[in-house]
Amino acid sequence: MIPDLSLIVPELAMAVLGLMVLIFGLIIPRGSRHGLGWFAALALLGVTGLVLAGWNNGGNLYGNLYVVDQFSQFFKITFLLAAFLVVLGSMRYVDRHLGGQSEYYSILIFATLGMMVMSSANDFMTMYLGLELMTISFIILVCFRRLEAKSLESGMKYVLLAGMSSAVLLYGLSLVYGITGTVVISEVGKILAMRAPLPLLMLGVVMLVAGLGFKISAVPFHMWSPDIYEGAPTPITAFLAVGSKAASFAILIRIFVVGMFGISLNWELLLAILAAVTIIVGNLVAIPQTNIKRLLAYSSIAQAGYILVGLVTASQDGVKGVLFYAFLYVFATVGAFTVASHFYNVTGSDEIKDYAGLAQRSPLMAAVMVVAMLSMAGIPPLAGFVGKFYLFMTIVENYLWLAFIGLIMSMVSVYYYLRVALVMYRNDPLDSTPIAVSAPVTVTLVVAMAVTLFLGIYPGPVAEVVNNAAHSFFMH
Amino acid sequence: MLSDWGAVFLFFVAAVIFSAGGVVTGFVLAPRRTTAQKVTTYECGVDTIGPTWVQFRTSYFLYALLFLIFDVETIYLYPWAVKFQSLGLFAFIEMIIFLFILIIGLWYAWKEGALEWM
Repeated sequence: MIPDLSLIVPELAMAVLGLMVLIFGLIIPRGSRHGLGWFAALALLGVTGLVLAGWNNGGNLYGNLYVVDQFSQFFKITFLLAAFLVVLGSMRYVDRHLGGQSEYYSILIFATLGMMVMSSANDFMTMYLGLELMTISFIILVCFRRLEAKSLESGMKYVLLAGMSSAVLLYGLSLVYGITGTVVISEVGKILAMRAPLPLLMLGVVMLVAGLGFKISAVPFHMWSPDIYEGAPTPITAFLAVGSKAASFAILIRIFVVGMFGISLNWELLLAILAAVTIIVGNLVAIPQTNIKRLLAYSSIAQAGYILVGLVTASQDGVKGVLFYAFLYVFATVGAFTVASHFYNVTGSDEIKDYAGLAQRSPLMAAVMVVAMLSMAGIPPLAGFVGKFYLFMTIVENYLWLAFIGLIMSMVSVYYYLRVALVMYRNDPLDSTPIAVSAPVTVTLVVAMAVTLFLGIYPGPVAEVVNNAAHSFFMH
Repeated sequence: MLSDWGAVFLFFVAAVIFSAGGVVTGFVLAPRRTTAQKVTTYECGVDTIGPTWVQFRTSYFLYALLFLIFDVETIYLYPWAVKFQSLGLFAFIEMIIFLFILIIGLWYAWKEGALEWM
């Protein structure tokens, strides 16, 4: 009767933590809530520890509805670390721009819980539950600066587009359910492997790709993301770009590599074209951007395209590449957005031209920005290079054209990334007062930079972990 | 297998023709004589007084949301109560946890002033 709950201790801990933070916010009077951010950050680290402690305990719950394997655990660690860094990087922002509200941390924790559920769900309903928990939390977080029209506008856009993409996704899921008669993803895989694909199934697959394409902001479903990234509070933009995307990739991989593996010939080319278009458009549109958040938004669209490349071959190496890239992408993106967020705290500007002379005003911030951007561009010896290497290695054999597109567009991306670096290092600052970096922000920045450098120079251990995680994924 | 779905497809086509047909026929055949009466907000209803874009108090929505919490709670409590004997202690504890979460929600709403009529 009582299911074995030991496997979902991290999820239970997150739910309790979210409620605890909410209660603390009620009990502790406004104005003395500064410790809440530290509490949330340390607790998130603690939950990461719980996931690590249960690393070798795999299994499934509730009749295979919920799977705990190394694949999902790796993603959970990624989400938790991202949440940890975002909370650390946003304490100042919350106090200054969001009125120090405790709900911020609580909802952020619930969004992370939704992502964790997504990465473990082996059933369409559970997956959708996690997805909605994450999306609704994000809708609230996006319009958290509720006195600013821009924030509210982006929140409204997010409501509409999230609703629409969820509808498309659900329609696709219902078609797949109609054909296979089951909502359990691994069962769907078994049934589809034995049967010739129907045209109706293809319609379902296209709708799944479209619905999830919205979530990972792949072109042509990307229109929402720059607007929303620009309007949302910057730390939330970072979390949206990292967490929401990585979680959507987790379910994308589970649905396609486990559920649709038998018919992979039918969707490989579709994903390859989607990846190619995403890489091209994301990188080209990033070039003329003048706002740092919009630039990072388009660059993160391009990054989604690179990650999508790993899915094209539906192989263990591809999944390994996705896991590795998702992990390093978290640190590079959180680093870049934390710089943007802190810069906004101090100067109130998001324009790239105001970053002039940042190297003189705050060497650490400028260095982190450059390292993060060069890593995203894939310059060795940074982590992005290794990640792209793993991803593109899998497609050289069958999709050489896609590898070429990825390579050329990576070179294009160097141009706009270096343009920011030039502004920061070459131009003289208009206002040369140094920018003080507070302790939690320093921790975030240093961790982001250190991990990005470390993974680039010595990717071995993490590569082995993701390889095992990808392998565990192909066993069932 | 395919013929089953073929029937669904035919049904879909018929539905499209049927619904689009009505709109198109109306569009083609209907006379267009606009009068002042016809362009009012509710042609057959009571004439509106004053501007129609009035703002409602958000308190209405807050009450509606709070009502929803307890509404959903009842939905879950009812089957649980019916099957209480056979479900045992575990379900009882689960329900207590569920109620506890809802009560935190209510506490939060209360504290944030959602129950005050401003």
